Amino acid sequence: MIKNYYSPSTLDELLKIKNNTNGVVFSGGTDLFVKMRYGIIKPQTVIDTKKIKSAIKLENRKLIIPLNTTYTDLLEFLKKNKTNLFLEKIIKLIGSPMIRNRGTPIGNIANASPAGDFILATYLLNGNIIIKPTNRIIPIENFILGPSKIDLAQNEIIYAIEIDVKNNYKFFFEKVGKRNAMIISIASIAVLLKENNGKIEDISICFGSVSPTILRDKNIESKIIGEEFSIELFKYLANEFEKLSKPINDVRASKSERKKLVYNLTIKAFYNLKNEVVSI
Amino acid sequence: MRIKFKLNGKEVTKEVEVHKRAIDFLRDDLKITSIKEGCGEGECGACTIIVNGKTVHSCLMLAVELDGKEIITLEGVEDSIKMAFVKAGAIQCGFCTPGFIISTKYLLDNNPTPSEEEIRDALEGNLCRCTGYIKIIEAVKIAAKGCENND
Ligand SMILES: Cc1cc2nc3c(=O)[nH]c(=O)nc-3n(C[C@H](O)[C@H](O)[C@H](O)COP(=O)(O)OP(=O)(O)OC[C@H]3O[C@@H](n4cnc5c(N)ncnc54)[C@H](O)[C@@H]3O)c2cc1C
Ligand code: FES
Ligand code: FES
Repeated sequence: MIKNYYSPSTLDELLKIKNNTNGVVFSGGTDLFVKMRYGIIKPQTVIDTKKIKSAIKLENRKLIIPLNTTYTDLLEFLKKNKTNLFLEKIIKLIGSPMIRNRGTPIGNIANASPAGDFILATYLLNGNIIIKPTNRIIPIENFILGPSKIDLAQNEIIYAIEIDVKNNYKFFFEKVGKRNAMIISIASIAVLLKENNGKIEDISICFGSVSPTILRDKNIESKIIGEEFSIELFKYLANEFEKLSKPINDVRASKSERKKLVYNLTIKAFYNLKNEVVSI
Repeated sequence: MRIKFKLNGKEVTKEVEVHKRAIDFLRDDLKITSIKEGCGEGECGACTIIVNGKTVHSCLMLAVELDGKEIITLEGVEDSIKMAFVKAGAIQCGFCTPGFIISTKYLLDNNPTPSEEEIRDALEGNLCRCTGYIKIIEAVKIAAKGCENND
């Protein structure tokens, strides 16, 4: 049962309380309260970050999303600044309006679920995690260590996520099986593509829920730069990612079904990207 | 902990234990029983309230978080929206209705002339076991028309 509740209004205060109490930090509570209900965690001390003022920033072709930014705040910012608008497709499928009004990208990352939709977006956009008080800046793929495991010390908190600004790309996102409070989606894919005269100029491909963490392979991506954007290429990719995926068996889908999904989603991505007009 | 907030426009000051969820505080201590607990984990939307202009789940929130906020519950929603639900016959057992009405208010406050798709998106976090949703969507359309006429 919660015995102590703190709601500091400055970052310094937050870090001091975190260091002294080792309480559980929370923002939207949309993961935390579900976990408490199921008795997965039983914190005595909680530290609410919401009184700390923060603002999203666009700097040097990076988007900096600080703590307490909700999905609703982020979407409003993207629309106002006409940047990374493809993220709307991911955000609109996270929970419901109420979840998006409270839930935060940072909470999603700290939760480290293999199905975390914003973790997927952060991998896709070469994200870095900015940590206080140590000022460590760590690439997302090094920060997420496994399901529910992150590289964060007891006295540290996530201060912000930094992701690439990418505009004029083609984008495909699909999530199979609707995600809810305790259950993760069966599989998801996101592809961000820049073409130049029918050839791949830049590409980023990520899968959710088909491995202990998000599946992305930068070697494969760099190997196919300059290749023709074709079904043959995507068949090759589909095969490679099917091999690379390490899904689990669970009640919603077997291992082999999930592997097949990786293949099929990659092929589907090709046909959708082919017909897509470049969005800003 | 002592908290102070505005509930449907009226100042409330009250002592509350820090472990108490917002839904338990509002229902048990303040007797706002229009707030329903369906699932207790963010799935059904029956516990939806408006906090500083945004819909949230009162089952995934502590009461102490209400401190300094402006809260709207069913009791603070304009009659025109409630009447639209009655007119459309969108209420059967009524358990889900307060949550749907709160989501409708949030939608219409931000978008007074929603399309059918926007209505469906706005209600995606509210579950109803009885009506099959068609009459609920009808109710929101009637409510939207009502708002237009008032303007
Ligand atoms: C009904 C329902 C549907 C959902 N649907 C989806 C979905 O479709 N896709 C999806 O990805 N997720 C979904 N979720 C999960 C959840 O909403 C998201 O993961 C959300 O982004 C969590 O953010 P939060 O701010 O609410 O996190 P919180 O619950 O506040 O925190 C989550 C974790 O992060 C830690 N934390 C929070 N802030 C910090 C910080 N600054 N530094 C370090 N650690 C921190 C907390 O201690 C906790 O362990 C759903 C949840 C529910 C209840
Ligand atoms: S009771 Fe809160 S969402 Fe169901
Ligand atoms: S009217 Fe019964 S749940 Fe909606």
